[in-house]
Amino acid sequence: MAAGDGAILLLKGLTKIFAGHRAVDAIDLQIREGEMFTIVGPSGSGKTTLLRMLAGMETPTSGDIILRGQRINDIPANRRPTCMVFQSLALFPHKDVGDNIEFSLKIRGVPKAERKQRALELMRLLRLPDHYYDRAVTRISGGERQRVALARALAFDPEILFFDEPLSALDYKLRKTLEKELKDIHRETKKTFVYITHSLEEAMVMSDRIGVMRDGRLVQIGTPQEIYTEPNSKFVSEFVGDVNVLSVSVLPSGKLKAAQIPHEMVAPATMNGVKSAGFLVVRPEFLRFLDAPGDADNHVVGRLYNEYALGSRIQYQVRVGELVFVLEKLRHEAFAGGLDQEVLIGWDAVNTIVVPDR
Amino acid sequence: MAINRRNFMQQSAVWAAAFAAGTVPGVFRSAMAARENELNILCWEGYNSAQVLDPFRTAQNATVKAESLTNDPTMINRLRAGETNVWDLINVNNPWARKVMYPEGLIKPLDKATFEPFFANMLPGFEWPYRWCMSDDGSELLGMIQRFGPYSYVVNTDKISRETAEDTGWDLFNDPANKGKYGILESDDWNVFNICVIAGFDPFREHTDDEVAKFSETAKKVFGGAKLVGDIATMNQALIAGEIDFHMTGGTYSASPARADGYLNIRGITPKKGPMAGGKGGIAWIEVTSTVNNPELSPLAPKFLEYVQDPEVAHTVAFAEGTFNPVTQMGNSKCFDLFTKDELDAIQWDSLNEEMAGCVEYDIVPDYDKLLDLMTAAKREVSGG
Amino acid sequence: MTARTEGATAGGGVGFLRVPAGFRAALPVILFLLVGFAAPLLAVIGFSFMPARTFGFTGQPTLENYITIFESTSYISLLWSLGLALATVLILILISYPVAYGLVRVFGRWSTLVTLLFVIPLFVSENVRLYGWLLFLIKNGVLLGTLKTVFGIEAESMLFTTGAILLGMVYVYLPYMLFPLTLGISMVPNDAREAASDLGASRWQVFKEVELPLSMPGLVIGCLLTFVLAVGAIAEYKVLGGQQVIPITHDIEIAFTYAQNWPLGAALSVLLMLIVGVLVMIALRRFDLDKFLGRR
Repeated sequence: MAAGDGAILLLKGLTKIFAGHRAVDAIDLQIREGEMFTIVGPSGSGKTTLLRMLAGMETPTSGDIILRGQRINDIPANRRPTCMVFQSLALFPHKDVGDNIEFSLKIRGVPKAERKQRALELMRLLRLPDHYYDRAVTRISGGERQRVALARALAFDPEILFFDEPLSALDYKLRKTLEKELKDIHRETKKTFVYITHSLEEAMVMSDRIGVMRDGRLVQIGTPQEIYTEPNSKFVSEFVGDVNVLSVSVLPSGKLKAAQIPHEMVAPATMNGVKSAGFLVVRPEFLRFLDAPGDADNHVVGRLYNEYALGSRIQYQVRVGELVFVLEKLRHEAFAGGLDQEVLIGWDAVNTIVVPDR
Repeated sequence: MAINRRNFMQQSAVWAAAFAAGTVPGVFRSAMAARENELNILCWEGYNSAQVLDPFRTAQNATVKAESLTNDPTMINRLRAGETNVWDLINVNNPWARKVMYPEGLIKPLDKATFEPFFANMLPGFEWPYRWCMSDDGSELLGMIQRFGPYSYVVNTDKISRETAEDTGWDLFNDPANKGKYGILESDDWNVFNICVIAGFDPFREHTDDEVAKFSETAKKVFGGAKLVGDIATMNQALIAGEIDFHMTGGTYSASPARADGYLNIRGITPKKGPMAGGKGGIAWIEVTSTVNNPELSPLAPKFLEYVQDPEVAHTVAFAEGTFNPVTQMGNSKCFDLFTKDELDAIQWDSLNEEMAGCVEYDIVPDYDKLLDLMTAAKREVSGG
Repeated sequence: MTARTEGATAGGGVGFLRVPAGFRAALPVILFLLVGFAAPLLAVIGFSFMPARTFGFTGQPTLENYITIFESTSYISLLWSLGLALATVLILILISYPVAYGLVRVFGRWSTLVTLLFVIPLFVSENVRLYGWLLFLIKNGVLLGTLKTVFGIEAESMLFTTGAILLGMVYVYLPYMLFPLTLGISMVPNDAREAASDLGASRWQVFKEVELPLSMPGLVIGCLLTFVLAVGAIAEYKVLGGQQVIPITHDIEIAFTYAQNWPLGAALSVLLMLIVGVLVMIALRRFDLDKFLGRR
């Protein structure tokens, strides 16, 4: 693939080894001009190390980082046209909101009046009141601090903005609000955002594309839709959230067999190359309560163990021997039966996929 | 992080408070009850040494505490401040018992019958009734004598010969050529005497305004010209190292530690002439040890005074830790014979008689407070110069 | 008789227990501080108003000691004390900042060793260490003697000069600057430094804009600590300075010893405490610690 092709950042075999441990292992990746790309992975997957290499705070052990066709491996952070929003936000606690936002402008020697004007513009963009300009950063709320950190990074006018899980310390509601705001800001500024998080849910909300990282490698890259509906491994599928994963073997007939389920099951079309053994993935929203076994491609009899209200939805836990199935219904479609009742549940093969254990 | 900003500040505050508290002196002393087996001595160093005290402690099965100080006024004011009920014995220089402490009721007389016989064995010049041991009217015995010595200035005889030093006298400190070549022992009461003598008048009397002005001027000149002011160890170190050639306020008391180490070129000098009575230029001190006017005086106090008269103990006192000094008990051959040649060299026995003859005895300076204040101001004003 | 009344009676019987537990627990410490800290301080203040050269609290209170001081040349000693203390603090900043920075950021596993090198001398008494310097610097001593015998160079001794006093104070008070400063520097969040660099700041700009201001609490504590200690210094002036400079502490010592003028000494002490206290207050106001700590 040519270096152009809309790619602003190109990674080739990027590797970082810490004391013999391959924290980042031969990553190849293209990030496109203006996209919001999210790297998602559990802690220890190497995503922070990867981001720090991109920002210039770690030196790669091998491989190349190419920004607009120029290799930038050896350019220190302060001379890279990129900027990062830290997990801790790393606001300067001794400076006011205004001085924080203007920091990069001050470094460049921009006159005070001009700096202030730019800071106020950014504050308005981020819905921070003007009078916050002189306020200590320690005296504003978590969400406001978040906006200051973003404004500070935007004031730098970077080619790429990196985000190191900046929302992870916030409460759920605020996080949800800011996720959307961040996506709005992305639209507004048309900058390239590279975001890392351990929450695929967060990645789904904001991203144009997502890369799922595990043990230093990118195991799947795709749009949120692709990652959700077509995970290419048990790891990715489980990462998306509550999901039913059934260890299955492929019968010569092409049907699937799971140890605790008496019936043979109809296999989906998407087998991800699985020939003999793999995992059947059924999302909770595709599991249904059945009136009769024939109402779906596959069925199983279990016992309704518990139910959980999730706002607009209700989640049910159904036990089949040792197996636990999770179903979700919209609230107005709530199941009428009581707990400990025997229930028949089932799903259609078209709504499932089989993934390898990777 | 275990240390965050907030608790760092708290810890620092605690730390600072601890420092401040550390500089506050502990001033509380418990009252005494039964005094038969305890004895408290306020003294110059030497009497507080284990060599002197341990045999007495063992023999009397007593608890003996001794606190040493290095100037007389401090000790006397401890008694004035109400510590007469703490101390049993006070060991200071000659004039204080007769002229100050007895008239002020700080000490009480000794039993003459017990102590008069000891004077028979003392060196010539210290015979009964020795003036500084007696009350003004001559009726009471106020204390016992032991250590003494001439105390004027000390030279390194490799730089200035004994003869030159003795003949030049105190003018050594008046000679501009000697600026930066001498030191001053930080013994400010004696320095007051010396500045008077250098200025050309007797310290031990009231002074005229002209003399006081001359004193102030001389103090500035002498302190301004000094290479350093310091303690005995520093003086000897500086003499030996060649930093200075001579220092004032010094004699056997201060030079003896260096001489005992083999530096016989460090020598106390008694000038041949001076502005004091009889044209004398030297000043000598004689310690007088008295029993404190303690309402519950320990019966061990007179016993201790008898104990130190013993020839062997007297020799120990002469060579107790710190400085080495002649003792009046050397008049007794049983005591004198205990001194080795090196010990006699250390205390300048060869010239002791003639030096004492060239000295007047330490006395009260009537306007000491005024002169000391002027001298302190003079030191301050020549600071850094 | 109701239970409520009984309860109240019982409560009255153990009145002390109604005092907050925290206060009760702190009482021994409070008493200790009152006796050990406040009482001597009050004694000094009280003495400063007694007639000159008296030794008790029975005299008629008077301001004569303060008048004496203001009419004297004591200001010279005071200026020397403050001046050399200030110089000591400035030199200590210049020496300690790089060392502290190294301890936190550069020396890595050698830091412990370097720290020990600075701590171990604290176990030896200050006077002994100063006499060590005396023997090192004295004519024909370790330094000049070696220069003379090995290289044939005859150098003037630097002992008994203002420089020697400064050397002694810098040496003795170094740990009191170094360790608060080390703590201060170690508390600068790594993120803040990286963020500054990421925003385009050069190493110097990172230092100036972020590290220095954020390590300011340690620096201010170090400065105050060493300044207060250095104003109270006396041994350095005596041992290495040969009393060529008379600090205010020496005047106080003379008043309490040779002059036996306790009230004057007390008045000098009170004035010194006041002046140092005011200077510290001004410094604290000027370098608003809360601001640096982001607690404004």
